[in-house]
Amino acid sequence: MNRKRALIADTFCLTKKRKCAVDSVSEDSQDGGADIKSNLQYLMTLFSRKLFNDTLPPVVLKHQLYSLHNDKTLVDKQVNELRENGDLLMFQLGFDSEAFALVFAEDYKAKVLQGEDGRKTLGTVEKFLAKLLPNCSDLSFNKEKMLKEFLFTDSEITQLVKSGVLTVRDAGSWWLSIPNSGKFIKYFIKGRKAVLGMVRKSKYGEILKTELEGRPTTSQVKFQMKYHVHDIIGAELVECIQTTSGTLLRYVDGN
Amino acid sequence: MLSFLYARQSGLDDPVRLRRAESTRRVLSLELNHNRDVDRIHGNGINTLDIEVVDGRYMLSGGSDGVIVIYDLENNSKKPQYTCKAICTVGRSSRHVHKFSVETVQWYPHDTGIFVSSSFDKTMKVWDTETLKPAEEFQFDGNVYCHHMSPIARKHSLVAALLCSVLAVGTKDPKVQLCDLKSGSRIHILQGHRGEILSVRWSPRYEHILATASTDSRVRVWDVRRASGSLFTLDQHNGDKSKASSEAVNTAHNGRVNGLCFTADGLHLLTTGTDDRMRLWNSATGENTLVNYGKVVNESRKGLKFTISRGCSPEFVFVPCGSSVAVYGLHSGKLITMLRGHYNNVDCCEFHPDYQELYSGGKDCNILAWVPVLRQPDIEDEETNSKRGGTQAAINPAFEDAWSSEED
Repeated sequence: MNRKRALIADTFCLTKKRKCAVDSVSEDSQDGGADIKSNLQYLMTLFSRKLFNDTLPPVVLKHQLYSLHNDKTLVDKQVNELRENGDLLMFQLGFDSEAFALVFAEDYKAKVLQGEDGRKTLGTVEKFLAKLLPNCSDLSFNKEKMLKEFLFTDSEITQLVKSGVLTVRDAGSWWLSIPNSGKFIKYFIKGRKAVLGMVRKSKYGEILKTELEGRPTTSQVKFQMKYHVHDIIGAELVECIQTTSGTLLRYVDGN
Repeated sequence: MLSFLYARQSGLDDPVRLRRAESTRRVLSLELNHNRDVDRIHGNGINTLDIEVVDGRYMLSGGSDGVIVIYDLENNSKKPQYTCKAICTVGRSSRHVHKFSVETVQWYPHDTGIFVSSSFDKTMKVWDTETLKPAEEFQFDGNVYCHHMSPIARKHSLVAALLCSVLAVGTKDPKVQLCDLKSGSRIHILQGHRGEILSVRWSPRYEHILATASTDSRVRVWDVRRASGSLFTLDQHNGDKSKASSEAVNTAHNGRVNGLCFTADGLHLLTTGTDDRMRLWNSATGENTLVNYGKVVNESRKGLKFTISRGCSPEFVFVPCGSSVAVYGLHSGKLITMLRGHYNNVDCCEFHPDYQELYSGGKDCNILAWVPVLRQPDIEDEETNSKRGGTQAAINPAFEDAWSSEED
């Protein structure tokens, strides 16, 4: 008798859920109608606010969601829906063309206005946010759009760039950005490199996920380990293998 | 399975449904079979494979040493252990063999009397299968990366060959050359790409539609009847100019695009690029369907030949990824499984639609056959069957009644 476990199409029979180790069950969402918003909120809690003296809203990267869900297309669809509704904002961070940052719209507005308090640019920024938040889901703006649709003048655009809400992309076009996010990106890249190094230097280049999360953070790693672990799994910089002792992360060569 | 058969018999279900369900089941159980082997003839890596459309019996392979081999895939021996024999080869000793690596081979879509091969020695040869001599030879100025003949064309018999010329100062742009098999001449050129063109495919739905993929990160769709340029370019952001950096506007991938494949019905187009992404496009409008396959490792410097299953639901994509073949669900984007078995990089794979088998070839000079394994038949003992006077099924020895009341 052939006892090998074979792949079975859905038409034929119900697939039996494999019994995996206890820790992965709590984080994996196996059901189809899983809520992206609750996952986003969970990931936001992993973000360390105190590090930036509370000037940054909690930022999550889009590919961190892929580590919590199997179906990437579904995640993309739901994220786009949230963006259409105006609940979520997406930013192009600049160090990787595929890495997008997600911030809840209310958090973003609150932090930006908090940062602008008392500065001369406050009025322009408020006007920009009012135009942006309800229904605009663009990542970048070019000059015509700013001048004609949004009716900003050149000096106002300069003020927006100074306040950090816009970053230069090209002559005459700007990315939407998070003010004071430079530090975030710097710590993030350093931390990612350090965590990947930890995986690579382990014996055989692989380490159990629970063990990695339990490791003490070095001075290079400023964020919580779980935040970085979700990032490297979602960006497919490590391979995720289910074993009887839990999830194993194996370093993928060629990164 | 029995319920499917009953439903088909009583008319509850469409006949296609049983076929599709069984094909899907077979594709999901693809495995490296130790019973099936393909003769090892090539001394260097295998670049391309093609199975003929008419019977599905003969397979062509082209290698980096310029050798072209034809194999017979049918199992005429009664034994399960079978090696696909090479029937004939255009080896290094032949006078007409290609001087450098053969990049693409393709059978003539309507019968196996002709096949066309193109190679880095800047020629494309149309071979007569009986005599293994080229009936026609097209000379070009640059390396030919890929060529393709339309599988459904009735009104024309054009072969689209791709050229790249070295982009030095003042030389020609990379172009797609259309050659006519009937007259043996070159008909016209499709210009528009700015980088070497790595892959070309005719649409299996409309015989005038052609898609090309190039190193300038763009994929263009052409109608050969039009005199002006391409119909449209595939844009990964679907026209949303804000998402990309300004150089990457209107590109299909963020790196070189090196693989193209139409689905069997011609409604969708799949492209792979060196940005480690695979994208599915609606071939009529050029819209990116935004199916996310994740990271599809792609380090190939020349074209990557991948294939899509036919006759299953849901359809599967077989993509060579490093030294294994990854199987993805076409519309869901999920990684179903990785087929591991090659010792080195896999360059090409080809799906046999009638038997749901996959043949893959790579740098380790092996062609591996992945065969669906469903149920092993119980080994029947022929003698006991005849003794019992032919009882319907062979009884499992564990249930045999071994107690005998006879005394010797």
